[in-house]
Amino acid sequence: MTVVETPPPLPVRDRTALRDRTAGALSPMLIRLAAERATGVLVREYGSLHLAEGRVVHAESPLAPGLDVLLTAHGTLDAAAWPWTDDIPAATHRLLAAGLLPRGALELCGLNALYDAAYFALSPSSTPGRFRYGDPPTPAPLHSVPVAAVERETLRRRELLDRLWPDPATDGAPLIRADPLAPPPLTPRQRAVLDRVDGVRTAPEIARELGRPAFHTLVDVRRLTAAGLLAPASTVAAPPVLPPVTDPDIALLKRLRDALEAL
Amino acid sequence: MANTETALKECLTSIEGATGVALVDYTSGMALGTMGGSKTFDLNVAAAGNTDVIRAKMRTMEHLGLKGEIEDILITLSNQYHLIRLLKGRGGNGLFLYLVLDQARANLAMARHQLKRIEEELEV
Repeated sequence: MTVVETPPPLPVRDRTALRDRTAGALSPMLIRLAAERATGVLVREYGSLHLAEGRVVHAESPLAPGLDVLLTAHGTLDAAAWPWTDDIPAATHRLLAAGLLPRGALELCGLNALYDAAYFALSPSSTPGRFRYGDPPTPAPLHSVPVAAVERETLRRRELLDRLWPDPATDGAPLIRADPLAPPPLTPRQRAVLDRVDGVRTAPEIARELGRPAFHTLVDVRRLTAAGLLAPASTVAAPPVLPPVTDPDIALLKRLRDALEAL
Repeated sequence: MANTETALKECLTSIEGATGVALVDYTSGMALGTMGGSKTFDLNVAAAGNTDVIRAKMRTMEHLGLKGEIEDILITLSNQYHLIRLLKGRGGNGLFLYLVLDQARANLAMARHQLKRIEEELEV
């Protein structure tokens, strides 16, 4: 007699564990540093994150325009008024103290610049990151953000770009214009980007010229690519034209094929 | 001039029936600040999703050749109002305020008026 037993329950994936697994997907080192409330600078291939007691207070990337560019490009702040220094947190302090900019505006601009640079700093790299422990910086004038928020936002931004146009080739390559049959109407923002496409400039360079966050320009560029208005200039030279076939073996094979086909 | 947090707090406390508010960057869909919301209502997700609403509307207006600008967008649910207000300030290009209201307690006309005032004060 067969005894039918209740089958053992199937293993169920633990949803909470699943969510936790995304933590540290970008940089396990960063999560560790946040856990130990470290202070210092995490230097990665495409940028650096400044931490104070495990929270991100500042981010820099050569690909993302800094706060100085963002503030002075559109006349929000007179270029002469920016205290020209590489120490952005100190510069922010001085701007606030001088009352040149309202606190809210500076806060929002600072946050935008932070997440923008963090996106590039946390992009996949070929070299391991280094962390330099340092003295706690002067208290950040703008609020700091938790590492988890930076990671979540960076992942969300990656997904957003992927959804718009899945090929990342346009992010770093020089861009050229394409000529679609029926070009869709453009927004003024997109037109400004398209006007600067000249076969030499890359998306981050266009962002710097326009004084816009680099990620925002990547969004515009991917949308323009999806609309068929842009394409990455191929950096690889076209494959050399094949020389005419002179190999006797190939010529023989071709004759043979022709003969067989004629049968 | 208020800072972001004060402005968001003011939205929640001074607007009757407000249950959540977010200040959102429209191109990236990132919430630059949120307040309120609940476990079941993630304002960050709402913020990202609503950028698509604005984009769709802007594109339609462009297709139609309308020259006006969007001041606000109202979405009416069976028990909530969602109010989206685009910021027009000098540097506020590309930001919007997103306000969630409880329909039973909110006064829509009043809320719109107050949101407009807070936007003017925010001045970003």
